[in-house]
Amino acid sequence: MKRLPVRPIAWVLFAAFLVLLPYLFREIRVHIAIEVLIYALFAVSFNLLFGYTGLLPFGHAGFFGVGAYGAALIISHFPGMPLLATLLISTVAGFVAAIVIGAVCVRLSGAYFALISLSFQMFLFAIAYEWRSVTNGDDGMSIARPDLYLPFLGKISLQNFSNLYYLTIILVALGILGCYLFLKTPLGNAIICVREKDVRASFLGYNVFRVKLTAFAAAGLMAGLAGGLYAIYQEVVATTCIDNNMSMIPVLMVVIGGSSYFLGPVLGAAFYVVFQDWFSSMTGYWMIVMGGIFIVIILYAQGGLVSLFAPEKGWRWRKEHESDIEGA
Amino acid sequence: MKAILKAHNLFKDFSGVQVLAGVSLEVFEGERHAVIGPNGSGKTTLFNIITGLYRPTHGQIYFYDQDISGWPAHRITRLGISRSFQIINVFPKMTVYENVRSAVVSKLNRRSNCLSLLSRDKTIAEETLRVLDLLSLTDVRDVPAVELSYGRQRRLELALTMSRAPLLIMLDEPTAGLNSEETRGAVRLIRELTEGKTLLMVEHDMEVVFNLADRITVLGYGVILATGTPDEIKNNEGVRKAYLGRK
Repeated sequence: MKRLPVRPIAWVLFAAFLVLLPYLFREIRVHIAIEVLIYALFAVSFNLLFGYTGLLPFGHAGFFGVGAYGAALIISHFPGMPLLATLLISTVAGFVAAIVIGAVCVRLSGAYFALISLSFQMFLFAIAYEWRSVTNGDDGMSIARPDLYLPFLGKISLQNFSNLYYLTIILVALGILGCYLFLKTPLGNAIICVREKDVRASFLGYNVFRVKLTAFAAAGLMAGLAGGLYAIYQEVVATTCIDNNMSMIPVLMVVIGGSSYFLGPVLGAAFYVVFQDWFSSMTGYWMIVMGGIFIVIILYAQGGLVSLFAPEKGWRWRKEHESDIEGA
Repeated sequence: MKAILKAHNLFKDFSGVQVLAGVSLEVFEGERHAVIGPNGSGKTTLFNIITGLYRPTHGQIYFYDQDISGWPAHRITRLGISRSFQIINVFPKMTVYENVRSAVVSKLNRRSNCLSLLSRDKTIAEETLRVLDLLSLTDVRDVPAVELSYGRQRRLELALTMSRAPLLIMLDEPTAGLNSEETRGAVRLIRELTEGKTLLMVEHDMEVVFNLADRITVLGYGVILATGTPDEIKNNEGVRKAYLGRK
């Protein structure tokens, strides 16, 4: 008897669920879905560095914030700018910021890399906080969500939450797909080589600095897009989207979801946002519970939640890390 | 004969400890050249300086008359010098195939390509399979490197070195940790792979050295004691006293 192709069927059902989501749930739930999507892209971009390059950035919110502030500044100063162009600019802003900052950061590794990336993010935070005439300080910038104009379709109002949902899911899916395909190219493979053994990579002819900078720039680019989408979704950009808290969010999501599997961060983002929404409606102490979950996963399930669905993968991940430690 | 590699008066200090004190060395095109010496005599340091892992404190290195002293490792590698490591240095979580493919990508200068998928590239795939076949690793191509037996990992290490089709092959103790049967196999393989090519190797096992090398350089605590053919080295009084006699 032929076995049912379980995985393809599951993916088709899941895709159908995503497409029909605005019709299945109330508006408030769709808002949560949009938030999940934006954070999923942010977490995937973080994992390009953490899971694939082997670098742990503690300041990834810097690029998210650059994207968000970029979008907010364009919308408030150039109201005529097409929405997609605005998002393109915030994506490029994240990319450029990541190249400049990354050129310094990726010379370091381990704890020093984490700390210097944190310092740059705090520096960007300080600019957002202090430069009141431009950023409005910690009051933040209120922006009106622009409408989307598309050829043939004309004006699409994003005040309609399901339109906003579809715009977000298309751009996030393209971003995540872009990351996925990027990792399958020779340049993406070089990133994995550097994570695995940077000395070996350089003795095969790879310029380790350039490879790490590429990963950093790609991560900044996707974080910039996520930030731009966040600005448009929230209609307000304040220092909370470029602060230390925002830097820790992808760390939590990726560790909870699982960094060794490409979609682990997406699962982590979904879990984090949905759990936060569900639990914070019951108690104000949801962060304590989230912290507890984080500790349990760090101690007992380093493969993250995704290893529960793909146990073989999670097992392999742990086994290899154990052998790394023995070998050291 | 033409020298492919010339090291001139190399010095290396590690925070005050002088590991190399004026080492000069020539490797001729087409020869198999071995560097031997007791533990701590600076063999691996010499290798690391030539290949760009360390900078020399003093001295120059020429590769085909080009001064490469102080160049970073990836640039030296791209010139055509490929090395292996004494301690296995492969990509542990990648499969054997992915390991070799990563080297082949670099050799074909596709490193910066971010617009086409690796798995779709026929040239890369063919070249990778050729190298796997050459090193008899085809049967374990889908096994992650970390799960290979030690002997196979050694062969993968060699495969990564050879897949760049280097002009100068540098092997750092290629038989370290192998049993005598595996060593014999490795010597045969290295002989095959380096036929007509230039090899510079560091090796502890004297049987391997006298089996493979056309010329031998003896290093003793940072200075060169002697250079010559295996017979000359065997009969060299100074070398016997310093090194061979103790065995």
